[in-house]
Amino acid sequence: MIKIENLSVAFDGPEVVKNVTLELKDGEILGVVGESGSGKSVTALTLMGLVADTAEITSGRIVFDDVVLREAGKPIDKALYRKYQGAEMSMVFQEPMTSLNPTVRVGRQVEEMLRLHTDFSNEKIREKVLETFEAVGLKDAETVYASYPHQLSGGMRQRVMIAMAVILHPDLVVCDEPTTALDVTIQNQIIELLRTINTKEQNSMLFITHDLNLARRICHRIAVMKDGRVVELGKTEDIFEHPEETYTRELIEAVPSRLKRRTSVFQGKYPAEEEECCPGRSEESLGEEEAVGGVEGQAFPPVVEVRDLSVFYQDGSNSLFSRKKRHAAVQGADFSIYRGESLGLVGESGCGKTTLSRAILGMNRDITGEIRHTTVRPQMIFQDPYSSLNPAKTIGWLLQEPLRAAAALDKSRAMSREDMEAAAYDMLRRVGMEETYFHRRPSQLSGGQRQRVSIGQALITNPGLVVADEPVSALDVTIQAQIMELMQKLQQEMQLSYLFISHDINVVYKMCDRIMVMKDGEIIEIGETQELFDNPKQEYTKKLLASH
Amino acid sequence: MRKPGSGKWNKYLTAGLIMTGIALLLGILGLFWTPYSTTAMSASEKFDAPSLRHIFGTDNFGRDIFSRVMKGLSTTIVIGSLVVAFSASAGILLGALTGYFGGLVDEIVMRVTDAVNGFPSILLALVLISLLGNGRQNVILALGIVFIPSYVRIVRSEFIRLRDADYIGRARLMGVCRIRILFVHILPNIFSVFWVSVMIGFNNAILAESGMSYLGIGVQPPDASLGKMLSDAQGYLQNAPWYALAPGLTIVWVVLGFSLFSEGIRRRV
Repeated sequence: MIKIENLSVAFDGPEVVKNVTLELKDGEILGVVGESGSGKSVTALTLMGLVADTAEITSGRIVFDDVVLREAGKPIDKALYRKYQGAEMSMVFQEPMTSLNPTVRVGRQVEEMLRLHTDFSNEKIREKVLETFEAVGLKDAETVYASYPHQLSGGMRQRVMIAMAVILHPDLVVCDEPTTALDVTIQNQIIELLRTINTKEQNSMLFITHDLNLARRICHRIAVMKDGRVVELGKTEDIFEHPEETYTRELIEAVPSRLKRRTSVFQGKYPAEEEECCPGRSEESLGEEEAVGGVEGQAFPPVVEVRDLSVFYQDGSNSLFSRKKRHAAVQGADFSIYRGESLGLVGESGCGKTTLSRAILGMNRDITGEIRHTTVRPQMIFQDPYSSLNPAKTIGWLLQEPLRAAAALDKSRAMSREDMEAAAYDMLRRVGMEETYFHRRPSQLSGGQRQRVSIGQALITNPGLVVADEPVSALDVTIQAQIMELMQKLQQEMQLSYLFISHDINVVYKMCDRIMVMKDGEIIEIGETQELFDNPKQEYTKKLLASH
Repeated sequence: MRKPGSGKWNKYLTAGLIMTGIALLLGILGLFWTPYSTTAMSASEKFDAPSLRHIFGTDNFGRDIFSRVMKGLSTTIVIGSLVVAFSASAGILLGALTGYFGGLVDEIVMRVTDAVNGFPSILLALVLISLLGNGRQNVILALGIVFIPSYVRIVRSEFIRLRDADYIGRARLMGVCRIRILFVHILPNIFSVFWVSVMIGFNNAILAESGMSYLGIGVQPPDASLGKMLSDAQGYLQNAPWYALAPGLTIVWVVLGFSLFSEGIRRRV
């Protein structure tokens, strides 16, 4: 039985964990859910005795089976902790690549646990490691034993980490976002594995995550943390069915699967182009489209038409002498994006999503085929809000820069200084931010606010088409929902078209009118969202949908 | 200075600012006024030890050393600043172009800078001086050319790092022209790194200038120069140690002050 009693932790003054009380019974999985900065990781690290030395315990204590491990006002007893760390309590980290030593074979790394805490013979140690590898589902244990971390996949590395954590049968396993760095299909397997281990070993698990849905699948009880406090604690189903706190409700509702589904702009009147992804379209339909392409009054004129597009990239060394190789990252792409629609683009990492979007934006010029735009200068919203705004400029300057650039390119679009400033203020309001932010710099903004400014910057010239590359995946869940709502609102107001790239099927389902599935550089399926979800034609699409 | 609140004040900065401030004050004052004329000789006051009348003492011609140090300091600071201004601007221009565009020009410029870096900088400056001739302008030009590569490297690597940043990609999508991307969008972001190298460069320029004057190929008499004073004082080390100590310690003071200052800036960023 592990007890965290009234724990407060401070770094240089401000407390980041405030009066947290948690109890872990044997055989229980307790989820700690919260957004970034909620103090969940600091709580776990303090429990493990791994928190930085600058952290100060300002109140409370940590009790492990009636032994006080840590108490307010007393310095950390490192010798005591060392007895517990590894043997009685262990941790699985988020990033399996950086938590394993890249220069040591993984078998050796796992062995070290036994060498430190037991006096087994060498044979026994090896046997035990192989046995544990098999227990965590590493099939070819001998081969894994002799491998270096880089030779293993992400899922296998995480299994090795878990093996290392459970090999001494500790009473407590702390899992800090153990599946966040993994692909969705692997995520499921790891969750299953952790649950199996918990049932078999009857140990306590502290499962830290930002993903409420994930916590629901594995935890017996859930603690919701916000700003360093536990705001709600209860049985998993109680929390989901009768959330008492507003914040918990927000968190549950913010999960994209609960976001209100967008009503399709097409409403069944989707332009006849079902055969898009297949080569050899009939000549008539092509001709017809060209004819109506620019006609006003057409319900859904295309904003961009892509015909038999292949995109290439140069491979290899940055050498003066060796000839560079040319690879096709996208092959034979053929589709259109219509005015006012959101076209989702899904696929695994490395399938060519980003390459395709960059080609459409003209950022990748090495192409064959045709891209026909009817709008000027489509814009892009990037995934990482921290690198998509120039840190040296103010928000006001950033919002005006697209107007200045447009004016420099086309004298007829020149605006007076006052008009530009007014437009920037107007955009700031439309993306839901207060005017006081006008003179601030990006470093003073949160991730969500930065993404709002990015959206404002992309839309201020009214570009018609916006490519959004994973625009919400770097954000906290409650913020995700806000940003998606904002994007939908602006889409309606400005008759925008989105090419919406995401790995999250739920997000795409809510945001998009049509979905395009890519695999290995080819578009294998394209269709209206509901249609595609109900009747996926390709095996791959089925697999992709099933993993959610 | 940089934008407020980007870092904490620290002791390096305080010490550096005080030391540099005193040196700058004396140097700038020395441009317009010195307690005594730097050329006024006095046969009766040869080799006077430091006193209230002459706080750094007098030299072999009875000239006031404090006045000459002030004058030398202003020469040094002016030359140092001009060298840095010249080499840093050239470095920014070359580094920005090669870093952002890459390609053949990049290869050529980088190989040339490699070649320049291959020589000891003072040696290369000597060669340039012997080609150009003595004198203030030529010292500035020679040292300026010698120091360009160090700036090119730093600016280039920063531009390479930033040219693929998302916000630069977005600026390109907006249709911002290349020159504006280079100098309005990217350049302000490299100042924190660049500033430190300018400080170090200033120190190197001061040391190089003093070294050249010491060797007699820098600033020519009657202009006072700290390096020249050191070499003049060499013969009188036993009789009048203050003659050498005054310019020597002044050089140490300036260089140390600037080093502390740049370290303070670096820690603040």
